[in-house]
Amino acid sequence: MRLPLFVLGLSFFLLFSACSNVDLIATNSKTIQEHLSSYKGEKAVLLNVWATTCAPCVEEFPMIVSLGNEIKDLEVVFVSADFDDQLGEVKSYLNEQKVIGVSFIKNENDQSFINGIHPEWSGSLPFTILYGKISGKILIFWEGKESESKFREAIQRAINE
Amino acid sequence: MTGITFLIGGELEIGSAMPLMDHQLADISGNTMTLADVKGDAGTLVVFSCNTCPWVIRWEDRYVSLANTYAPKGIGMIAVNSNAARFGSEDSLEEMVEHAKNNGYNFPYAQDPESELASAFGATKTPHIYLFNADDKLVYLGAIDDNAKNAKKVEVPFLANAIDALLAGNPINPQTTKALGCSIKFN
Repeated sequence: MRLPLFVLGLSFFLLFSACSNVDLIATNSKTIQEHLSSYKGEKAVLLNVWATTCAPCVEEFPMIVSLGNEIKDLEVVFVSADFDDQLGEVKSYLNEQKVIGVSFIKNENDQSFINGIHPEWSGSLPFTILYGKISGKILIFWEGKESESKFREAIQRAINE
Repeated sequence: MTGITFLIGGELEIGSAMPLMDHQLADISGNTMTLADVKGDAGTLVVFSCNTCPWVIRWEDRYVSLANTYAPKGIGMIAVNSNAARFGSEDSLEEMVEHAKNNGYNFPYAQDPESELASAFGATKTPHIYLFNADDKLVYLGAIDDNAKNAKKVEVPFLANAIDALLAGNPINPQTTKALGCSIKFN
């Protein structure tokens, strides 16, 4: 029995790996900020801090993915604030939502992470920031779930600035 | 700061008086109560909380141990549920009674009608901690400690340190901290 089970397990692993188009990186806010700044002059950036266990986060998540796919001047960067024992759930959810490219999960204590993302963020989830395409600067940020129209309005401003 | 949209309500500032002390809260005991009713001789701890937030679930063992340690020392404590948008579902009074029972709550746990207390405190998330001194002035604001996941791996017990300093008459440092949490579900 052992060998077939091993082969079966390996097949599932390979299948899962082959289906995974997201590169989930566990890191701190400093590295995330460096990543964001690399888009200055090229694209507006939407940073969304979320968690698999946060209901309003997963309610707005598919809409954000869809905006990222639709708007070519926009880069969407997701940062998971899940606990480090939920890496599997985070990766599964990202794959399920067809997130591709680089995505992050925090591996820093809450206080440094929150202040490193934005000093005026209280730590409430979800949290969204828009960075201007031209300036690379923070233009708009908010805590909590928001409507698609609010997102679109903020994205347009970030693309123009 | 020109051109920056700031969309986050302000938290109560250190030194502020406890707001809405007479706001009627619906406690799991079936009675109404106010912050004035739970106020302790040495200070008062107000914890914005709820039934289902994963950060609450991970941290709430510390609610109980804090009450065990500090209630006998004159610190009044209450957990306030301001998720008014969910009072019809997972944050109903019935669910709160069950949640408190299952987790050994040894302090009042009450609904904040219309989230008025959360608005007045500038509370945005659960858990969100506010510690007041005997004169009802805010002396500490923020997180319980630096490790939601594991009480045994806490490096700095921010809140316990703040209460110890308050009881000893020493300066509290830090007076504010931050932690992740679930957004309060306002109506």
